[in-house]
Amino acid sequence: MSANTQTLSLTDRIGARTVAGLMALVVGSILVFGVGLANSQTLHDAAHDTRHSYGFPCH
Amino acid sequence: MIVRLLLAALAAGLIAGMAMTPAQYVKTIPLIMQAEAYENGEAGHAHDAAEAGAAHEHAEDSMLGFGRFWDTVLANLVAGAGFALMLAAVALIMGVELPAGREAIMRGLLLGAGAWFCVQLAPSLSLPPAVPGFPYADLGDRQSWWMITVAASAVGLWCLVMRPEWVLKVLGLVIIVAPHLWGSPVPEDLASEVPAYIASAYAAASLATTLFFWLLLGGLLGYFLSRVPEEAAA
Repeated sequence: MSANTQTLSLTDRIGARTVAGLMALVVGSILVFGVGLANSQTLHDAAHDTRHSYGFPCH
Repeated sequence: MIVRLLLAALAAGLIAGMAMTPAQYVKTIPLIMQAEAYENGEAGHAHDAAEAGAAHEHAEDSMLGFGRFWDTVLANLVAGAGFALMLAAVALIMGVELPAGREAIMRGLLLGAGAWFCVQLAPSLSLPPAVPGFPYADLGDRQSWWMITVAASAVGLWCLVMRPEWVLKVLGLVIIVAPHLWGSPVPEDLASEVPAYIASAYAAASLATTLFFWLLLGGLLGYFLSRVPEEAAA
């Protein structure tokens, strides 16, 4: 199967689970950064109570 | 299969994030609002009008136009989805096996408990969860220390729990303790308008509500991920 093909996709080489994990890591990090850490007044005000409740450094 | 794994994580995150809003409105947000009243000088001793007006206002008016409650609902959904994707990433990249049924939920709960240790308990040991009106050290310093501590706790916990070599277990413990020995940013003046009772109740409430969140998230995540078939096309 894949061992004979000339070009291997990333999924073939490291497995679908690892690819999904890397994608989840990138998207998840962006979301958590936006909610918890981004230095934007709008994001800070909207996520204010969430930031405090989760113990993110705030203010 | 990749899409279904991501959707499974997203579903767990949105459910846990949704459950977090009522939990916060029971335990943490009433304390935040009480603390804000002291911060703005509305409670306790009276400030003059100029000082009260100069006190910075936050979250009084919604920036997204939905009101404070719905802003928090939305922020909790995004936080839930983000934390769920990161926890799923850890499980998938580490190759945690999730056999269908009870075992998947049990392993998910353990993952959630581990995440709670790394994201909530470990940073709180040197940088306690703080209500508005607390004395604060520089925000950038605290955020850097927080991120380093979360990352170090995760790496350390992995070495300690998942690796059989005793050298790595000891190293893991050292990595977990290191940010605390280094020391977190501490404000120069510890005095605060906020009563100590509110502050201590808040620290416990924050740790308790987030424990609820991470256990719910972990259990759901383990269950949902275990339901994705190995040979799924999408």
